[in-house]
Amino acid sequence: MIKQILISDPTLRDGNHACAHQLSLEQIAIYAAAADKAGVPIVEVGHGNGLGASSLQVGLCKETDKDMLETARKHLSKSKLGIHVIPGFATIKRDLIRAIDIGVDVIRIASHCTEADITQRHLGYVRERGKEAYGVLMMSHMASATVLVEEAQKMELYGAEGIIIMDSAGAYLPSDVQEKVTALVNGLKVPVGFHAHNNLGMAVANSITAIESGAKILDGTARGFGAGAGNTQLEVLVAVLEKMGYVTGIDLYKMLDASDIAEDKIMKNVPIIKSESIISGLSGVFSGFAKHVTRISSEYKVDPRDVYRELGKRKIVGGQEDMIIEVVMDLIRNRK
Amino acid sequence: MKKLRVAILGSGNIGTDLLIKIQRSEFLECVLFIGRNLSSPGMAKAIAMGVKVSDESINAIVKNPDAVDLIFDATSAKDAKIHWEVLDKLGKIVVDMTPAKLGVFCIPAVNLDEVLEHRNVNMITCGGQASIPIAYVIGKTQKNVEYIEVVSSIASRSAGPATRLNLDEYIDTTENGIKHFSKVPRTKAILNLNPADPCIDMQTTIFAQVENPDMDSLLYEVDIMVKKIQEYVPGYSLLVPPIFENGRIVIMVKAQGLGDYLPKYAGNLDIINCAAIAVAEQYSKNFNNIK
Amino acid sequence: MKLAKNKVVFEDCKKSCTEIECFSILDNQSILVTGGTGFMGKWIAEMVSYINETGNYNIKLYLLGRDISKFKEEVPHLAEKPFVSLIKQDVRYLHNLPSDVNYIIHAAGTPDNREHVSNPLKTIETFYKGTQSVLDAATRLTDLRKVVHLSSHQVYGKNETEQFINENAFGAFEALNVASCYAEAKRIAETLCSHYKNSMRLPIVILRPFAFIGPYQDLEKPWAINSFIRDAMLGGPIRVLGNGLTQRSYLYASDMAYCILLSLIKGENGGIYNFGSKVGISLNDLAIKIQNQSVSKIEILSRSSKDFDNVSKLVPNTDKITRQLNFKETITLDKAIERTILWNQLNND
Repeated sequence: MIKQILISDPTLRDGNHACAHQLSLEQIAIYAAAADKAGVPIVEVGHGNGLGASSLQVGLCKETDKDMLETARKHLSKSKLGIHVIPGFATIKRDLIRAIDIGVDVIRIASHCTEADITQRHLGYVRERGKEAYGVLMMSHMASATVLVEEAQKMELYGAEGIIIMDSAGAYLPSDVQEKVTALVNGLKVPVGFHAHNNLGMAVANSITAIESGAKILDGTARGFGAGAGNTQLEVLVAVLEKMGYVTGIDLYKMLDASDIAEDKIMKNVPIIKSESIISGLSGVFSGFAKHVTRISSEYKVDPRDVYRELGKRKIVGGQEDMIIEVVMDLIRNRK
Repeated sequence: MKKLRVAILGSGNIGTDLLIKIQRSEFLECVLFIGRNLSSPGMAKAIAMGVKVSDESINAIVKNPDAVDLIFDATSAKDAKIHWEVLDKLGKIVVDMTPAKLGVFCIPAVNLDEVLEHRNVNMITCGGQASIPIAYVIGKTQKNVEYIEVVSSIASRSAGPATRLNLDEYIDTTENGIKHFSKVPRTKAILNLNPADPCIDMQTTIFAQVENPDMDSLLYEVDIMVKKIQEYVPGYSLLVPPIFENGRIVIMVKAQGLGDYLPKYAGNLDIINCAAIAVAEQYSKNFNNIK
Repeated sequence: MKLAKNKVVFEDCKKSCTEIECFSILDNQSILVTGGTGFMGKWIAEMVSYINETGNYNIKLYLLGRDISKFKEEVPHLAEKPFVSLIKQDVRYLHNLPSDVNYIIHAAGTPDNREHVSNPLKTIETFYKGTQSVLDAATRLTDLRKVVHLSSHQVYGKNETEQFINENAFGAFEALNVASCYAEAKRIAETLCSHYKNSMRLPIVILRPFAFIGPYQDLEKPWAINSFIRDAMLGGPIRVLGNGLTQRSYLYASDMAYCILLSLIKGENGGIYNFGSKVGISLNDLAIKIQNQSVSKIEILSRSSKDFDNVSKLVPNTDKITRQLNFKETITLDKAIERTILWNQLNND
């Protein structure tokens, strides 16, 4: 039997976290064309927090959603164009209608892992337009396997044709992935996917554990370009999958070329696991916080590691970037 | 002084919490608590408190229109539209708690006097009640504000099925409210649900992009505004006073509930109710010529 | 276009209504339908309209629902009929029914499982309190002949055997499934029926509906056949989610309406009837059927989490409605799909 894995590549979306959402249209065009050439099935584009998320809260985007999507659309012929959509940031009227009009093919509606019912209307709208709709549970390390199954089942009923859990904090060990993905595969009718972050150096290993536990969809980015310590390094993943006998439809050589292009043209720095990222992963903090924590910590001269610890203790979720300021203010106050 | 006679339409969480708050008011008397089902928890509470109740919905007012001066509509946007058609003809004042947007937007700390000229007052949204007064101060004290953004985080448990289904409407209404009061053309509202246990208090951050911020007058005016809000929302506080960070003004406020019918963490529901009561009391004071 | 669309419905009623004479019993009688403004209510109104006009009867219809104005907007030709009266009422809070009601069809409550998981309490209340309110009000009617309670096939739980489900079946329940509130509420509603039948001697018939398809059914509903037809009308691809071998059956809407009316006059007091089509089809085959009826070339995609060990089969044994109600399906699945697509195209224009 052919073991097919669907790959979604958010280099141009999660990667935006790594450069404070400063990817330019030119860079989007270059990488989209390279990924298309390599046969990457889905190329995800946009602000790091997805559609309609450009904000002072999580970072202003250099380019507008419209320009980014139109540019990517022009440079993708085989690959599908994907977006990440978080209700609470993006609305149907303000953002989603236009994105679909521009020609987005795959729409992943995301919520914090315990809040799936905010995705009902958005998933419904995507299905109404006949587009591919997926559900995404973010920060999935914060919920038990049982809760994840319940929330994922809701998304399935709302019309999601696959459910992706994100290890947004890079907090998982392979045993966690095995437990959660197995439970989801058992509890769901539609395919399960996994999106890793590399804070503890586990991204590729966790991704492989996910498919060995029954997942059929994996996310990965060129050179791991993504929030915090970065994502699963896609060219490595493709090579490993090939070695294991899985089929992705991606041409390995051309994927290697695309990653070289990405390193050369779109990254100032290739993601590495910085000391802070390790603490961030251990504390279970949303990877998209990294740039903000670094900046605010140095501005107010506090130890970023203390900031991560405190954010983790307060169980802050993605989208609550404003809490970083409050935590820093508290640390200063307590120091006095 | 004659207390203004009010009725509450809608016996859910908002309606029941309003009822308890009204019992404390010097200016208001709840003469009728209206729902559709006498066995709902809200109704049971009202009956236990000795308040007159009805399960006949809007008909309860149509049957005896002279018994009531002002109606709080705490049903749904859809029902509020139908109710207003009836109540408008009866010449009643309506304080609309739903996102129906039929009447004049009101933030008591900003335009309380203006609403007296209208008979339908809309309370915008919970996030709007917390953030708009601050956005208004930014608009008032700063020159050339390019953009204002407000981010609210509320406890997951304080967001019921209707809130969850209507996040888009919440965002749309809040953005309109900010534009209306701050006069800043570009605005954005973001809502986060946080499931942390114990539940978090409602917290709102207001960001603004301003070329050359005047932080002194902002600090001064924000302080005055917060005190003004605290007069009708006791649980409102300034968490992080105005700072200028990374090219943006940042102000954080918090709204803790009074814990009347709903738990203290439900500050989002509390703040909109406190504001609605402030509006109703203003009508009462006006009728009684109290300044 | 409106006329063309209504003509589709009229022709369907004509085809399904094979035995119009038997409805003479209902002449000058009043039927009340809860959930009267929904999919079933609209079709009952269409069928009664056909019977009244063709058989020259005077069957009165009360349609009770929460959103009367939407009904008037969507189906003005029904709302304006002299034999139709509309009552705006949430079934949960109902006290009294019009005193001249002779028959009740209790069809209130949505089977949309998205709403069940987003608002389980409302779901439970609608079926529990709603059923109790209706039956209670029914006990105070002076000339009540029959109550038909629309239950659900979900009261049977899971069926992963090759068997057609008969009325005595009882399968396993998935406690972990978040949508269980619907099935459980439908079960308690049946228990309420047996109480009112036993202690208040209400003449109750229970129908356990399976799946239906046809005009007036919203294609945005989250069920396989609706999604397939919607996907096909948008030019595809059709997406088969989960196990494509899953077996379901679909009864066309006009046959559905006709069968409900038959149960009013022929349903045995205290009887429980499976209500649906006996022709099972797998989701894969269903997708192919719909693909074959599309003008353009449409792709079918299969999306599933795993290779399934078991196949769910929810297809009724319909011997009882055939024997006791003399009900026969008149519209095949192919025809049903064709009519549904045609009507929706006319409706979209």
